Amino acid sequence: MKVLVCIKQVPDMESRFKLNAAGNWYDTADLAWRMNEYDEFAVEQAVLLKEKAPDTELVALSIGPERVKEAMKKALAMGIDRGVHVQDEASFEKDPYQIASVIAEYARNENFDLILTGMQSQDRGSAQVGILVGEMLGLPAVSTVVGFALDGQVVTAKRELEGGLKAVVKVGLPALFTCQLGLNTPRYPTLPNIMKAKKKELTAIPVATLLKDEALAVTEKVSYPEKRGSGLVLEGEIGELTTKLVALLKEKTSVFK
Amino acid sequence: MINDETTLNVMLETVARFVKERLIPIEEEVSETDHIPAEVVDEMRELGLFGLSIPEEYGGLGLTLEEEVNVVFELCHAAPVFRSVIGTNVGIGSLGIVFDGTEEQKHKYLPALASGELIASFCLTEPEAGSDAAALRATAVKDGDHYVLNGTKRFITNAPEAGLFTVFARTDPADKGARGVSAFVVDAGTPGLSLGKNERKMGQWGGHVCDVVFEDCRVPASALLGGKEGQGFKTAMKILDKSRTHIAAVCVGAAERVIQETLTYAMERKQFGKPIADFQLIQAMLADCKAEAYAARCMVVDTARKYDLKKNVSMEASCAKLFASEMVCRVADKGVQIHGGYGYTREYAVERFFRDMRLFRIFEGTSQIQQTIIAKNMIKNAS
Ligand SMILES: Cc1cc2nc3c(=O)[nH]c(=O)nc-3n(C[C@H](O)[C@H](O)[C@H](O)COP(=O)(O)OP(=O)(O)OC[C@H]3O[C@@H](n4cnc5c(N)ncnc54)[C@H](O)[C@@H]3O)c2cc1C
Repeated sequence: MKVLVCIKQVPDMESRFKLNAAGNWYDTADLAWRMNEYDEFAVEQAVLLKEKAPDTELVALSIGPERVKEAMKKALAMGIDRGVHVQDEASFEKDPYQIASVIAEYARNENFDLILTGMQSQDRGSAQVGILVGEMLGLPAVSTVVGFALDGQVVTAKRELEGGLKAVVKVGLPALFTCQLGLNTPRYPTLPNIMKAKKKELTAIPVATLLKDEALAVTEKVSYPEKRGSGLVLEGEIGELTTKLVALLKEKTSVFK
Repeated sequence: MINDETTLNVMLETVARFVKERLIPIEEEVSETDHIPAEVVDEMRELGLFGLSIPEEYGGLGLTLEEEVNVVFELCHAAPVFRSVIGTNVGIGSLGIVFDGTEEQKHKYLPALASGELIASFCLTEPEAGSDAAALRATAVKDGDHYVLNGTKRFITNAPEAGLFTVFARTDPADKGARGVSAFVVDAGTPGLSLGKNERKMGQWGGHVCDVVFEDCRVPASALLGGKEGQGFKTAMKILDKSRTHIAAVCVGAAERVIQETLTYAMERKQFGKPIADFQLIQAMLADCKAEAYAARCMVVDTARKYDLKKNVSMEASCAKLFASEMVCRVADKGVQIHGGYGYTREYAVERFFRDMRLFRIFEGTSQIQQTIIAKNMIKNAS
């Protein structure tokens, strides 16, 4: 079996974000980078499959500048067999449709039985890329997966629905799944495995050779929400408080009019 | 020297995550119970932490010293007792074999030390020979194809857990100085080797030190490190040049943690109607801590780089160890001060760090001994 795992490198979410000069994304200077958390679930799922079926081949793909190799190294250290780095200095300017089409273009002739992606990225959060890749390749796509069991060529996946419900979906391979929190606990890449990952194959492909499509939805501008006035804390005895509150409500709102 | 920045960054991320998720949450419990849970030590083994400095050909990671100190900065954002568990395998306990061991000794011990299956210890200090280690009295007398060891070693880190003891003893009774000293690698369980009771220490609870006593302890001649007599003290000094830089890195990591804890506290704690971090007297303390920790970090990295270039760093390593260990005690003191009364209670990590840090000015050469080494080098280089 051949599995593709798509991973994105995102900033450490505890970072302080500043906007870039163009105002269409965050400034990438001085950020610490991590593998998108949802993609870690995808990597872990792939590695679990390989542990059961050692002849499985695991390939990880990531689009972005040189630094995304770090996220790929981590995937390789966790147990992915080889990496494909699609070199793109401006991946942040591409819309989800373009990113998906680059991945689909790469995957089209590679005959993957299974494609795993994160449910969404922690920074852009469009939750579109996985689903679009499935569509472009004509594969069934199952989103927000929190359970995964493979039996022969059939996957029984558990999906998280709204309102606390879960759904069980059966789908034949080849297929694509987007992974959600709760699917598994990603392993720590151990230091010896990180060293060994140095020897694993990491091929580079310039994005231009895979990019065929124009963006459909261009991000014009990003901004912080406007600062709202801070809340007001009333202090004092209960009776006094009620009087103050009523006075305030009369003054500032139409509740008592 | 950093061989591959990307690989190192992935390692640092792993260690940072382990520190945050697994070590910091149990710090207080480890201290209270004077015990690190076995499963956590196993996780440290699995992560590969015991093998940081052991060459790759013997199953370790073979990190350069610059890479190692970067890992140590990260690891020591957790209580220093966790570093102490791996400390002897990464440093003083194993380096003798790495530097000067015979091929047979390397093959016999290094893979098990790298995996953490075997814990090493370093037995130099004696009741009557602390700072003046060259005056040690333990003896090793050749008897056929054996040596017979006698003597008492004091304050031996990880001795209760150790499977291997690197022991320094006098093979030439006529030479009372450094040249009469040889090093031996002795397995735990060798008849004649026994342990004293655990010392009740000021800090770093969960880590253990005790006496190691040799009474007519017979070891095969193959236990002589490197197969050569009279080299022991030289080996010990080589070990210390490297491990002092490592200890300085421990101090930097710990200082960074104390600063982070203290900054968070100062920004939250309100007095006189505002966060105490708004007061300039608090800011001055915070700034001094930051500047000193940064200076020490730079010293550690610079020394490590020179070491990796095979330069003699005796003086630099002593400078780094002296400054970093004194620095972290000042930082821990200010950390307690900024926490006020709360910093004097067990509720806050700074109280524990304040006690834990005090050791670093004492072991692997006291601050006075570092000063002596630095000045000796200065004078030698000038004359
Ligand atoms: C928790 C702990 C763990 C340890 N682990 C190990 C270990 O694993 N292996 C090991 O071999 N040892 C270990 N040690 C021992 C440690 O290295 C010694 O305690 C240290 O070297 C100091 O020796 P001492 O205690 O005998 O003090 P002393 O040498 O008696 O020193 C007492 C005081 O005199 C000062 N002094 C001594 N000589 C001079 C001088 N020439 N000029 C100026 N001042 C001087 C010292 O700086 C100190 O202030 C450990 C100690 C502790 C507390």
